[in-house]
Amino acid sequence: MSFLPGLTEAAQVPDIYIDVNEAHTQVLPIGTLWKIRVPSEAKMSIKVLTGIAEIFGTELANNIEYNFQNWNFTVHAVEEVCLEWKGTDSHPAIEGEDLIPNESAQNIYNLHFSLEKMRNSTFDGPKVMIIGNKRVGKTALCRTLCSYTIKFKSYQPMFINLNPQESIFSPPGCLSATPISDILDVQLPIWGESMTSGATSLHSKQPLLKLFGLEIIAENRDLYMSTVEALSEDVSERLHKDALIQRSGCIINTPPLSQLDDDLKDLVNIIEKFKVNLIIMVGDENNDEDMAQFEKVSQTIKPFVGDFLLRLPRLTGVIESDDTYERSLQRNAIREYFYGNQNTALSPFSVSIDYEDLIIWEPINLLDPSSAGADNNSIDKLELKQVTITPSSIQHALICLTYSDKHAKPNDVRRSSILGFALVTEVNEKRKKVRILIPVPGNFPNCSTLLTSYRYLE
Amino acid sequence: MDSETERLVKDFTGVLEELTFNSKPIITTLTKLAEENISCAQYFVDALEARINKCVPMQKLYAFYALDSICKNAGSPYTIYFSRNLFALYKKTYLLVDNTTRSKLISLFKTWMTPSEATGSPLFETSSLGKIEKFLIKASALHQKNYQSMLPTPTVPLLLADIDKLTILTKQRLVKAPTDQKLNIKLQVLGQLKQELQKGKLSQAALKQVQLQLKEVFSQDQQLIQQQYEYEQKNQQRQQFQQQQQQQQQQPNKFVGSDVPGTIDSQKSSSSTPIPLFDNMTSLSSNVSSLFGNTGGVLSTQKLDLLEKTNKDSKVQNLYHSLDNLGLLYKPQNESIVTIYNKIKPKDLDASAKDSEIQLPQIDMLQNILLDCKAYFANINVNISNMQSLSFSQENLTNPNSIVQNNLIHLLYRAKSNKCNTCGKRFGNSNDEKRLLSEHLDWHFRINKRIKGSSQVITNSNNPGTTAMQKNIQSRNWYLQDSQWINFNDDDITSTKNIINDNVGRNRNRRDNKWKNGGDTSTKYNNNLSSSGGNGTLDDGTLDEEMLRMAKVPVPETNVDMTFTCPICKDTINAVYDEDSGEWVWKNAVDISGKYFHAICYYDSIKNNTGDDHSSALRNLRKLIK
Repeated sequence: MSFLPGLTEAAQVPDIYIDVNEAHTQVLPIGTLWKIRVPSEAKMSIKVLTGIAEIFGTELANNIEYNFQNWNFTVHAVEEVCLEWKGTDSHPAIEGEDLIPNESAQNIYNLHFSLEKMRNSTFDGPKVMIIGNKRVGKTALCRTLCSYTIKFKSYQPMFINLNPQESIFSPPGCLSATPISDILDVQLPIWGESMTSGATSLHSKQPLLKLFGLEIIAENRDLYMSTVEALSEDVSERLHKDALIQRSGCIINTPPLSQLDDDLKDLVNIIEKFKVNLIIMVGDENNDEDMAQFEKVSQTIKPFVGDFLLRLPRLTGVIESDDTYERSLQRNAIREYFYGNQNTALSPFSVSIDYEDLIIWEPINLLDPSSAGADNNSIDKLELKQVTITPSSIQHALICLTYSDKHAKPNDVRRSSILGFALVTEVNEKRKKVRILIPVPGNFPNCSTLLTSYRYLE
Repeated sequence: MDSETERLVKDFTGVLEELTFNSKPIITTLTKLAEENISCAQYFVDALEARINKCVPMQKLYAFYALDSICKNAGSPYTIYFSRNLFALYKKTYLLVDNTTRSKLISLFKTWMTPSEATGSPLFETSSLGKIEKFLIKASALHQKNYQSMLPTPTVPLLLADIDKLTILTKQRLVKAPTDQKLNIKLQVLGQLKQELQKGKLSQAALKQVQLQLKEVFSQDQQLIQQQYEYEQKNQQRQQFQQQQQQQQQQPNKFVGSDVPGTIDSQKSSSSTPIPLFDNMTSLSSNVSSLFGNTGGVLSTQKLDLLEKTNKDSKVQNLYHSLDNLGLLYKPQNESIVTIYNKIKPKDLDASAKDSEIQLPQIDMLQNILLDCKAYFANINVNISNMQSLSFSQENLTNPNSIVQNNLIHLLYRAKSNKCNTCGKRFGNSNDEKRLLSEHLDWHFRINKRIKGSSQVITNSNNPGTTAMQKNIQSRNWYLQDSQWINFNDDDITSTKNIINDNVGRNRNRRDNKWKNGGDTSTKYNNNLSSSGGNGTLDDGTLDEEMLRMAKVPVPETNVDMTFTCPICKDTINAVYDEDSGEWVWKNAVDISGKYFHAICYYDSIKNNTGDDHSSALRNLRKLIK
């Protein structure tokens, strides 16, 4: 009878079937971390019943249900926490280390209050830069520091993201500077919403974006550094005009050290550009390689920051992940830019334009053998090339709209401010038309655009 | 009297002679005889009256019952005959019999007063019944007097003994209710009275007075104690109730008036046993109260219960001891229910125990209060600026810092004890912080209302064509231009108040005019205006009406229903989606210091003004609609 479907499957039903609405309770003893992994297809919600719990420094309200999707994060119990969670995954916590003492908490508190002391004594707040290798907890540290900074006094620290692969308040491929003027959204891997036309449940943030556009810094180091420089100029002007942000200081996140050049020239350059006066290097103390690297960094940048380079052990809460996870975060960031999230639904607008109305430029990718001039060292690496519109070149591409005119020169386009992003959803070769998704309803803006390396298939 | 009648009367008298106890058959026989031989009524009445007069006091009551039965069943002429001598008969009997019988006579009398259903009048002639009633009232008053005269002649030692007894009683009560002020005062008074008596200078009359007062106090006390006692014994009584009742009926007089205070006192001295001060007290009190309602005997029932109970108790006790002595008992130690009970039972059941039973708030709420206080005190006199351990060094960063762990950490949490229920943001306790919190909560409320309302389609009766566009859809904004961002102030976003310049920050969000040329005609128009430096103003200083119509105000975030009413024309304006700015706007509208008007209405109204007002307002408006 086993050929009849259903008869054999019946026995498996209890395993397959998970009651999404079943509430589980979990007690987190004081000072512990609860490591959670919510895969892209799973969902999870957490409701704190008693005690103080925080996610990357942002305190959770009690008796409010928070929803999480496609994110690895940690819940830190400031006091003993009793919480209730529901989820599609019966074991969202990471096996073996779901409840571990948060040894990093003490270091982060020490760091935070040191920074607080500096803010107290000067009008020119600390400009702290976090460096380190991949998966040591740089972004988590930045997020926690930002959250703590706004908690006691009404500071507005500037968060600067120099890692184009991270998408914080923006789609990937950008460097950004965002004043943290209000609490972050604990549910979002992208930290919070950028401005929308309507009401959002928390105050949105207003980021400044500079497009790098490529995926890996090594693909065009000159372009990366020029983007950093452009960002630093605007940031320093903003700091000059905004006394509150200046006093609150900057918290700068960096790409993994491995992605920067070997002689650390880029790093020194960044330190100078942003007038960094504190550097925290996150790394494993017991790892000889990390320590050797620290020594090397220390020697190189000592002339610039003196004794203000400190070492912090790798964060306890780091969750091992792979590139697939990173890509899913990037995809989420793109989707959120257009469609919003579960709390704030956004309505993008699909427009159809002719081939000739769409002017797309792209940066030179030095690692791509097909890219023109890749082997020619004499050409200007910052130069933009116009993209010939074919389905293969722009299908599903994330393109960046600029404030520059359609007929602007490439150099003006490169220096232009970013208006927003658009997504090529369909290229019709026959009719020479392109269907494009833009975030704001209306006509396609009459502007030049830049191609990014990111593709998104809806 | 013929022989027949003579025989009947003889029979009747014979039966009557047998009525030496309360016998229903005999009374029934007598009643039947009387009913069947109405002709002999006169003789029967005489015989019964003679019987009542002659027989021993104990049996008089039964003869009265027979009289009662005959009158109630046979009625006239017996009632008429009996009425003649009823008062004398009743009075004589009442004075001869004991108190119990008296109360029964009174009950009997009460039944006579009740009008019969057949005739609507009382059983006997009203005059004789009235006499009996008067007599009974007098008798009870007299009874009181007699009771006083019956008391032994007061002497000082006697009174002293009474006072001592009363003191003991009061002290016992005081043990149970130590907070009772009255009892304390009573004890003091008794002490003083005793001293006075011991001086021995009181006259006989004064002594008598003291004696009476003591008795009154005592009877009050006894009532109180009895109430308590009744309350405590209720459960046991319930179990033994029926048994007790039967016993009481069989031996009605056994304990009446013959209490055994001594026994009870010694056996159960700690309990609140009523201890009669005077031996005749019980019977006296039962007599007094039995005048119109038989409540007598209650006290004696109590005594009986108690005796029974103490007997039983002591029997069980004896059995237990004998078994114990023989080693036949197993005594559980720690797991014993008695041990457990002794551990958990309330120490005492008094008012003080009740106080401790007051319901406390939830434990986590109390904990919160405690931790908030702790956090508050942890940060008093802590100054970050002066702290050496917070200077930037490797040691300070990675080593444990007790000040951070114990004091400063609270700054991030409970030092601001008011946590927003919606987003978890914390606010402090100063007035400023409280104001911020209430503004913050208002903001949540408005925003939530707007988010909820965003899915609703607002119908527009004035302008049905735009209904479809009224749906509040939101989308991502374009980013600011670099120069706009540099000049941007995040307070524009985070403000929770309805600020006047709400739209200023948002307007910066609009696309640069430079590439607006590709847009629709309205943007072209605006573009022209800005590029030509305000040439929309006509030569005579007035404003172009078309330009006024184009003026628009973005719907402020604080607005809930997307409409506003122009204060001048009272027309309601609905928001429409403006594609250029990517925002919801009110067209033909201006924002004058936080108030919204139709641009044209406002222009018309200021146009009619004269003088400086006029020109400055115009300048203002011109600026606004650009």
